[in-house]
This record gives sequence, structure tokens and C-alpha cells, in this order.
Amino acid sequence: MRESRQGSVRRQLLVLLLTAVSMAWIVAATVSFRDARHEVAEVLDAHLAQTASLISVQRDGDEDDDEVDTEHAPVLHRYGRRVMFQVWKNGTTLGLHSQHAPDAPLSAVREGFSDEMIGGARWRIFSTWDHRNGVLVQVGEQSYERDELATAVARNFVVPLAIALPILGVMIWAAVGRATQPLTHVNQEVASRAADNLAPLDLADAPSEIGALVTNLNQLFGRVHGLIEQERRFTADAAHELRTPLAAIRAQAQVARSAANDAERVHALDGVMAGCDRAAHAVEQMLTLARLAPDAVSFQPAAVQIRDVLTTAIADLAPAVLAKHMEIEFTGQQLAVVVGDAGLLGILFRNVIDNAIRYSPPGTKVDVELDVAGAEAQVRVRDAGPGISVEERSNVGRRFYRAPGTKAAGSGLGLSIVQRITELHRGTIRLETSPTGIGLQVVVVLPRVREV
Amino acid sequence: MRVLIVEDDPLLGDALVTGLKQRGFEPDWVQDGREAQIVMRVEPFAAIILDLGLPGLTGLELLRTERARANKVPVLILTARDAVQDRIQGLDSGADDYVVKPMDLDELAARLRALVRRSKGEPAPLLHAGGVALDPAARTVTRDGQAIDLQPREFTLLQELMLNAGRVLSREQLEERMYRWGEEIESNAVEVHIHHLRRKLGTDIVRTIRGVGYVLPRGKHA
Repeated sequence: MRESRQGSVRRQLLVLLLTAVSMAWIVAATVSFRDARHEVAEVLDAHLAQTASLISVQRDGDEDDDEVDTEHAPVLHRYGRRVMFQVWKNGTTLGLHSQHAPDAPLSAVREGFSDEMIGGARWRIFSTWDHRNGVLVQVGEQSYERDELATAVARNFVVPLAIALPILGVMIWAAVGRATQPLTHVNQEVASRAADNLAPLDLADAPSEIGALVTNLNQLFGRVHGLIEQERRFTADAAHELRTPLAAIRAQAQVARSAANDAERVHALDGVMAGCDRAAHAVEQMLTLARLAPDAVSFQPAAVQIRDVLTTAIADLAPAVLAKHMEIEFTGQQLAVVVGDAGLLGILFRNVIDNAIRYSPPGTKVDVELDVAGAEAQVRVRDAGPGISVEERSNVGRRFYRAPGTKAAGSGLGLSIVQRITELHRGTIRLETSPTGIGLQVVVVLPRVREV
Repeated sequence: MRVLIVEDDPLLGDALVTGLKQRGFEPDWVQDGREAQIVMRVEPFAAIILDLGLPGLTGLELLRTERARANKVPVLILTARDAVQDRIQGLDSGADDYVVKPMDLDELAARLRALVRRSKGEPAPLLHAGGVALDPAARTVTRDGQAIDLQPREFTLLQELMLNAGRVLSREQLEERMYRWGEEIESNAVEVHIHHLRRKLGTDIVRTIRGVGYVLPRGKHA
């Protein structure tokens, strides 16, 4: 299984969670360490002060023991070497002092706490005046003690973390693995699928996040399936649709071969040519529709003057109009700019007008009218043909559908094409009975660009 | 032999009419299902070529309705739908044959002849009466092995009489079977053709039942 540059979710979560836990723990440990050191310092300072006052009190009882003044106090505890004191008579003469105490005063400060370097070590010194006896008492303790105590407190935080982190890691790994199992499952199912298998994925017992993904995937599958189905049906319809003109061409050719006279042969050969024209027209329309497929359309939007498109379409179709001894008139030739593809719009209106001509009886008239109303450009194409009944109007947009009784040649694709192009231009199309009461009126409404 | 073509495509319908005429049939053509229903109830067609995608009434609807009314006319479905399911549905709806477009006109004609033959309970492709043999496919008639030259109408008349051997057919019935709609019929056309047949094939080939019609005696099949 290929993994992205981002790595797996599992690994990411593991790293992120462990980092977050460690950070939180480190912050907690740091804070605790500082708190502990502070507390220890206070306790020990108090202890120093108490020791100093004890020494003073001691002096009260031994007021005359000046002879022992210079004697060293005994070392009673293993920590004793890290503790020392001096008693200075009148603040100048060293009296009683601990064994390791130097001869110089422990600190220059005469009252309160101070930190000093003595013999290469850091000492915490408390000095106090016993005014009653006129002595300065200085008590010192090596600072090293303090740090050691605070470190011991902090270690109590760090050690459990060191033990817990690997366990936590294993648990996170397992938990994330379990939580992402549906994802792995979905992944495997999608990966192992045949290309044409677009059945929905089973999303039973998937958590909501993955459920949403599966739902969206299923919807996508549904849309793709719909598109493929549509294409398949189109191909089938197209094949069927070409069978009838082919059957006609073949039959006409066979008739021509066994024709009894020239008139019959010419008639049949005309039929062959008409059949070919019809098949060609059907193929042309199918290709147009294929080019308009949602994934294939190359839409080139530009400002298009609808009047020009209509003029060109009418000019293109004029020969067909003349051949049927018909008339065509273009009215309301105002400017109306539409954002769209001139080529596609040309196909749209050629189809609408061509339809009107095809279904009109000879000698009648087709009216093309361009109207601007507000933000819309309306194109109305009216014929005097048989029209389309209200019930049939919803059917005619179907591909290959041809209204019952249709005598004129056609592929049944024209309106599908027209609808698709109108859709692409965010327009609408509707079929109505012509205002004259006879024939069909096709109304194409397109959003227009207002004059700047 | 009169056949009805029910086909909405103008170009194909036109080709079928001419092509079947060339092949010895008397075809009539309608483009709408309802029209076909009316026509096939009143005219004695030997067979019907039926398209399925019809306006008005679809081919299958028409077929089912007519079969439900015990209409026995042989029906050949001619359609663009080639799926096996469509063929099954067509035949099970009462069709006697199913042909997919595009088709060959000669084959279509042969299938029509076979349908008509079977509908008349006539297994042999050649029709026989006395010493006369009629080949509907080749459109030839022989008498005791000798080729006899008949006019198309005379051939059609003889074919109808042979297909209905032993049955008396009135002049009107014979006219209905010989002429398409709108064809100009001389009032004594049938009598004239009968007269010609007797001259070419022998007087006893067709008996006249006075006041009723004509009959080709059965039982002398070769």
C-alpha cells in the first residue's frame, strides 16, 4: 500500500499525541521542580534561622564559657560537613564555631540571608545579631543540598513518564488502529474493486467521519453509474436509430436493382440518397450531442451578439426555406449581448429554426423574433406546422424521441441538443402553442449582459 | 397476395411497398398503429409486416389486441430492436416471425410466403391442383411439366384459388384478395381473368358455382 508523504494517520497521531503528552508532562515537571525548590529553600532557610537562634539561646546559658569559645563543635551527622556556624563576639572575635568553619566570617552581611562561595562551594548563610549578648551568629549550609532535594521531587515526575510513554505509545497505536479500521476496510474494498463495480460501499458500523466519506463516495459512484448508464443507453439508442435508415437504404438499393423500369429505379435511387442524408444527419447530431457531454464540452465564453448568431443561422437555412417555397422573417433585430459560445449558440438556433422549417407545410412562414426584456434576451421561433400537444411536450426532449405521426425526417436528437446548449448558457427553453393558434412557438430565454 | 405494411418511417415504407410489389405481393402501407388496426379488421390480408415503434398504438399493443380478438392473420415483426428479450416478447405476444432491420427484401418475401403457406396448412412450397403446379417464390406455373405464361393478375387469382382449394370464393372476396386499395377494378375483371385461366390451363381448373362464386376442386393433388 502506497503511503503519502504525510505518512499514515496512525503514525501521525502517535507522534502528535506522544509529543503533546510529553510536553504537558515536562511543563508540569518544570513547574513542580521550581515549586519544590522554592518550598525546600523556605523550609531550609527557616531551619537555618532556627539553628542560628538556637545557637544564640545556647550562648545565653554558657555566658561565661569563654574558654571553650575557640573549641570546635563536634560533627554529629553525615550532613554535618555541609553545615557550619560561627559565633562572633562583638562581631569581631571568632568564638564558638563548627569544626569546618573558616576563620574568616562566613558572610559580610550582618543580618539576614546571603549566598557565598566558600572553599569552592556555594553556601547559604544566615546571619543574626544577638544584641543581648553582643554576638553575631552566622550559620551556613551548602546549597547543593537544596538542589538535590528539589531534583528528587522533580524526578518523581520524570520517572513515571519515562515508564508510561512507551506503554502510552502502544496503546495509542492500538487505539488509532482500531479507530481507523473502517477506513482501512473502505480502502481495501475500493482498491480491490473491478472498474465497472459501482455498487455502493457497505457503511454499517462506520464512525461518523468515515461514514460521511463513504456516503460521499457512494454518491459519487451513483453519479458515475448514472453517467455510464446514460452513455450506454445513448450508444444503444444510437445503434437502433441508425438501423432504420440503414434498412431503408438497403431496401431502396435492392428495389433499384430489381426495378422494372427507369422511373422506378430513379425513384429508388433517390430514396437511397435521402436515406444516406438522413443517416448522415443523425450521425452529425449524435456527434454534436457527444461533444456537449458534461465531461467533453469545451465552452469558450465570450460576449456574443445574439442578433448576429440568428442572422447567420437564418442565412444558412435559407436554401431549405426556398426549397419548400416557404418564407422566413427575422424581426426585433436589436442588440442583445449574451456571454456564451458563439459556435454552440449557432448550433442551438440552427436546430430550432431547422425544426420549424422541417415540420412546416410548404408555402407557410417561419417567424424568428428577438426580444430584450430586463436581464433576458428572448428568441421566439414560430412555425405553422402541426405543433406539439401539451402531453407530448415533456417527451420531445428525450433523446431519439419523435412525436407520434411525425412524417418529417429527423433524428429525434435536435431538442436534446437545444436543451443541453441552453442549459450550458444558464437559459431556459419552453414550447408553446403559437400565438396565432396554429403551429409551435419555441421560446429560448438567455441571460444577457446589460449595456455598460 | 395482399400484405399490410405497418411502418412509420417514410423511406423504408416506400422501399417495402415497391420491393414487395416487385416480388409479387400486393402491399398496402399504413404509418400509424390505430389506422393499421382498423384496416386489418376489414381487409383480408394474407400477412402483416409490423414495426414495433409506432405512433398511435405500438406494434405490441396492436398485436396483443388483435390476437385477443382471435385474429389469425400471420404477423411478421420488422424492427430495429434486436435484444433477445425483445424477440421473445414479440413472438410471445403473438408474432409468427421476427426480423431485425436492416433486412434483405428477398428474404423478407420468402418469410412472408412461408408464413402464408403455414397459415393455410400447406406444408409444400409448391401449390398443386390437378396437373397444375404453382411456385409462389419463382412466380411460375406449370401444367403437366409445361411452363405456362400467366399475367400477374392471373397468377395472383390462381394462387388465391389454390391456397383456398375446396372453398368457394365470391367475386368480391377474390377482388379483395387481388387488389390493393384505390386500384381501379373493371366490373368484370374477375370473370375475364377466370376466362383466361381456363383458356391457358383447361376449363375444369376452376368451377363456377352460379350465383355464389368460384372454387378450385380439392383432392387431385399430385
